[in-house]
Order: sequence, then C-alpha cells, then structure tokens
Amino acid sequence: MSDQPPQPKDGEPRDAITIEQARASDADIQQVHAILLREKSEPAESNRPIPIWLLLFVGAMTIFAITYIIRNSGGLEITFNKAALVYDERYTSAMDTGAGPAKPKVDPLVQGKKLFSTCATCHQGTGQGVPGVYPPLAKSEWVNGSEQRLIRVLLHGLTGELKVEGATYNGLMPNFGKGGGYNWSDENIAYVLTYIRQEWGNNAPAIDPATVTEIRTKGAAGRNKPWTQAELEAIN
Amino acid sequence: MSEQPSTPTIVASFKPGARADIAARAELSEIDASTRAPLMLFLVSAVLWLIVGTAFAIISSYKLHSPGFLGDIEWLTFGRARTAHLNAVIYGWATNAAVGVAFWLMARLSRSVVRHGGILLFAVALWNIGVTIGIIGILKGDSTSVEWLEMPTYATPLLFIAYALVGAWAVITFRYGKSKHIYVSQWYILAALFWFPWLYSVAQMMIIFAPARGTVQALVNWWFGHNVLGLWFTPIGLASVYYFLPKVLGKPIHSYYLSILGFWSLAIFYNWAGVHHLVGGPVPAWVITAGIAASFMMVVPVVVTGINHHLTMIGSFSALKYSPTLRFIVFGAVNYTLTSLIGSLMAARSVSETLHFTHFVVAHAHHGMYAFFTMVMFGAIYYILPRILLREWPNATLIRTHFWATAVGSMVYVVGLSIGGVVQGLMMNHTSPDGSVTYTVLQVVEATIPYLFSRSVAGILITVGHLAFAVNFFWMLSKKPVSQSSAPTLFRNPEEMELAAK
Repeated sequence: MSDQPPQPKDGEPRDAITIEQARASDADIQQVHAILLREKSEPAESNRPIPIWLLLFVGAMTIFAITYIIRNSGGLEITFNKAALVYDERYTSAMDTGAGPAKPKVDPLVQGKKLFSTCATCHQGTGQGVPGVYPPLAKSEWVNGSEQRLIRVLLHGLTGELKVEGATYNGLMPNFGKGGGYNWSDENIAYVLTYIRQEWGNNAPAIDPATVTEIRTKGAAGRNKPWTQAELEAIN
Repeated sequence: MSEQPSTPTIVASFKPGARADIAARAELSEIDASTRAPLMLFLVSAVLWLIVGTAFAIISSYKLHSPGFLGDIEWLTFGRARTAHLNAVIYGWATNAAVGVAFWLMARLSRSVVRHGGILLFAVALWNIGVTIGIIGILKGDSTSVEWLEMPTYATPLLFIAYALVGAWAVITFRYGKSKHIYVSQWYILAALFWFPWLYSVAQMMIIFAPARGTVQALVNWWFGHNVLGLWFTPIGLASVYYFLPKVLGKPIHSYYLSILGFWSLAIFYNWAGVHHLVGGPVPAWVITAGIAASFMMVVPVVVTGINHHLTMIGSFSALKYSPTLRFIVFGAVNYTLTSLIGSLMAARSVSETLHFTHFVVAHAHHGMYAFFTMVMFGAIYYILPRILLREWPNATLIRTHFWATAVGSMVYVVGLSIGGVVQGLMMNHTSPDGSVTYTVLQVVEATIPYLFSRSVAGILITVGHLAFAVNFFWMLSKKPVSQSSAPTLFRNPEEMELAAK
C-alpha cells in the first residue's frame, strides 16, 4: 500500500474502507479496533445562535413566574416578618387586623364535656358521684352556687369534711389549675365548670375564663394547698 | 498526528500516513480498556438489581388489585415489597447504571484513563453490599418509613462511603484528562456527582441521624425526593443523550449556546421545585409559591434541551430504524420532554388539588424514571458493552423484544395509571350539593381497580423486556471476543447504519 490513503468512492463510507482494506495489515490491530474503528468521531458542538423566539419565550416565562410569586407570596415582605406564619397564599398585609392568627371558635359545653371525662372517674358520668365517697355534682349547692368558691376548688383542690346536699363527705379533691398535677389552662377550667353548671338539670350561669384568670393571679394568688369547707365559706 | 500518546501504543506501529483519527481511536481503546473491570462490575450489578427490582414491582402491583396475593408472608407485605422495589431500582439498578455510564463517558470525554481501578472496584462492591443490607433490612421490617430514604441506618453509611470514592475518582479522572474542551455531558456529570452526595448527606442528617423538628423534615424529604430525580438521574440521563445522539449520528450537537442555557437553567431552578409536593400543607405559603414558580421555570431547560436534541436529530430519523442505541435514547429524550412538561403543570395549586395523592403521581414518577432515564441507560449500555468487551450483542431479536416490550409497557403503564389517577382525584374531591363527600373511600378504590390492573399488565410486558435484555447481556458475557472485524448488532442490516450514515 502507498502512503496515500485510498480515497473513498462517492457514496462509499470512509470508515468502511478503513476496515475492509485494512490500512494496517496486521490482524491483531484490526482485531482490537474492529468495533472502535466503525464509531463516529467523539461528539462536538456547533455554535449556532439561540433563536430569538426562544429567548422571547424564556423572557415570557420569567415574567410569568415573577408575577406568580408576587400574586401568591402570602404576605412575604423583605423583612420576612409575618410571612413565615402565613399559610394561605392569597393573604396580603392589607388583610392584617393586628389581631394575630384567629383562634378557633370553641363551644364551652362541647369542650367541657370532653374534659369532664377526667372528672367522671370519681363524680361519674351522671354527675351523681358515689354515695358516701364522692359527692354529687348534679343539683349540688356548691356547683350551682358561688362561682368564686367553685373556681377555687378546681384550681387548688379541696380537703377535709365537706357537706353536700345534706350528706357529709371526707375525701380529697385534686388541684387542676396551672402548676398543679393536671395543669389545665384557665380556659379549660372555665369550660368544664360551665359544663357541670348546665348539665343534669343544673342551670347556673356560664363561667368566663377571665374570672378564672383573675382568681388565679389576684384573688387567690400564691395559694398552693387545698381549700377546706370553712375557708371557702368565708369567701362570697 | 497532532498529539502523540505518552506511551508507545499500537498507534506507533501505524504508517505515517495513518489519519489522526486513528490515533484518537487508539486512545479511546486504551481508555475503554481501563474502565473495563469497574464498569463491568457496575453493569452486572445493575442488571441483577433490575431483575430483583422488577420482581418486587410485579408483586407490589399485583397486590394493589388483588390484596390477598402473598398477603400472609410478613416479608412480602405491600409496605415492604413496594419499598424494596423502589430501593432496588433506585439504588440498585439506576444508580449502578448511572455511575457506570457516567464513568465511561467521563473517561472518554476527558481523554483520561481510569487510574487505580482497584479502588473503584472496592467502591462498587461496597455500594452493592450496602444496597443488599439495606433491602434485606427493609424486608425484615427495619425501614425508616421516610420516602426515598427507607434504608435502615446500618446500611446508609456504606453507601455514602462508596459514593464518595466514586465521586472522588470521577473528579480525578476529569482532572487528569487531556481534553481542553469540556463537553456538555461532562458538565452534567460533574454537577450530578457533586449534587447527589450533597442531597443524600443533608437529607440523612436532617431526617434520620439528627432530625430537624416538625414540618422542616417534610420540607427536606421532598427537597431530597424530587432532587434525586432532577439533580442526579436527570443530569446523568441528559449527559448520555448529549453524548450518544451526536455519537451515533456522527454530527455535532445543534448549538453550544442552547446547551449552556439548558444546563444552567436546570441547575438554578430544579433545586427549588420539590416543595410543590407540600401544596396545602402546613408550610409557609411563600415557600410553596417559590417551589411552584421554580417548577414553572423548569419549562425553560426542558424546552431548550428538547429543541437542541430535536434539531440535532432532524434529518436523521431514518437512523432509528437501525440503531438500538439511538432508538432507546430518542425514546428516552422524547419522554424527558413530555414528563417534565407534565410535571410543571402538576405543580400548579389548582392541578395539585386534584392530582396529588393519586396514582397520577406514581405514573409521573415512572414516566421520568423509566420511560426517560431507564430507557436512556439501556441505550447507553447497548453502545458501551461492545466497546469494552470487544464483542457484539448476540441477538438482534432479543434487543427488538427488549425495546418493544419496554416501550409499549411503559406507555401502557403511564397512560393507564394517569387516567386512573385523574378518576381517583376527581372522585375524592367530588362533593354533593349539601357539601358532603359524594363517594366513600371504598367506592374510589373500586373505581381505580381497572387502571391498577392495566399497570400489572404493563408490568408483565416490561418484565418480558427485562428478561430479554438480561439473557442477551449474560449471553454476551459468555461469548468470546470477536476475532474478525464484525458488524454491529442492529435492528436491521441493509446498509449498516453506523458505517454508512455519514
């Protein structure tokens, strides 16, 4: 063979010549390269420009995305102030009433009934208590009487002899208020008391959580032991 | 010749008249040979995991319309079999194949032989031991129950070490490369090799090892879950498309500038997109809005890349009749465009409301992972294996079976389950005029059964394809290297495509 590589005829692939006419007559070389030689060259890139309409499309997408963010940002401001707490993308700062997140509306009787399941262990679901052991709540003068006394019983507990509906009991009512074993919130105490004052034929006015808070923080602030009947009767 | 190889090679025995191209090919031959051992280990494990993963897929799919099937075997209950399927195909098949193919591409494009291949062999072994332990752990009941991160903590550190070794070796291969130009495939591979360990380690730390509190876990989980697809498998898949399209066709990629735009827009936007899975969840509205906007912006890289590939392909569609590699790659590339556009649409709040938490999402995940990524990997393996084994694929009919079974199977899967998902979503959200929910859960489930059944049919088709592939693969391993110049195994042979398409 001459040094001049054979020229392919028109329409005849160059690589085919390389293989078929065996530039190197050495069979080993051909063997190693048989598969490699028929490959096309390693890939390359042309430098054709990006079509202008494609750039316009990219621009349109960008504007669309920015508009989307602005319209659905859920009140995001540069300072990230409240947006971290806003879960509705339609929120804007114009809707902010300054009241903070709205609290869910609670029906005291529904919530109170749930909480009462704890009380029912002793006072029973019927509110009748257990004769001689746990005093009844239904028709009880303590439950339907002074809210000042009733709230104190729940907040701090009650010990010693107690006369209810003519019968005498001697047990221990645990404390349910903040810091106590049950650590109920003022709201929960108000709810459960409202419930027992309006169930089983009882018909006393509802109790406001604010009253509970006032007694806990002012009226009986610092109290850390259960009340007795005598102490309670001293309060109006 | 423009450049002499550093060591005397067979090229030296060529006559002075040899074309420079021959030198380049001899160099490729050396590079291919250096990748042979680790690459074969990657690919053999990948194919074995593919079979294992497919078996679990069929079991899980069948259980969804016939819940009693294998129902009393604790290790094969749905929660474990489905999870084993996911981990076997993601960490077993797809990652093994991705790393193998990425390594081969990286070595070739950097024009760099793989140094100290033994350490890579060690890394592959470690990776596969980790995956095996992880899947046995899942079947045994030790799953962490965090989606995409189910493997128990006694398996994951092994995976991380193995991956770190692979990543470091790829960077070394790149650094020692002789190529001055960095081809687009290399951008994607380098980026993916950095992104995956970042995602994996952050997610493992913030969810499993030192859990963040509350909804942050959910955020991290979806950031990870979505990014594994978009910042690990997608870049490797696209790197393969960018290499094999021009390689098989013998013409350059249409535009370097489109490649740049496509790469950087993917890099910038994808990372944000996963949050759209939390639409309606207890996550600040602006975070989700940002995720949705980024999902919309993903249209940019997808359209740009799609156009770049299409304009490269245009005028050469007849080559699809011959080349298995090209047919798998083009099928994958087309589905990349489709699944990504559907994905951007699914991110919108109004669409997510109906489609999220339905089978539509499952169909979409398989559209991306299977019809795009897995098909591209098949195409790549059909091209690579003859080069590193110096053997031809034994049987064209098996390749044809593989293509048609998986192509038809995956389309039946995606279309059937997508329709099922829409039906499911509409029924779940449907309310009567008085505001109550119209359909009971059981009614919704019963309405989806035909679509779930179509998935099992699709699964069987896909299994047939995988078996054809595995038979061809292991048959090829048992063959002797070709001793004569041989013809490639093509779908048909009127004018040997790879030789004649110029």
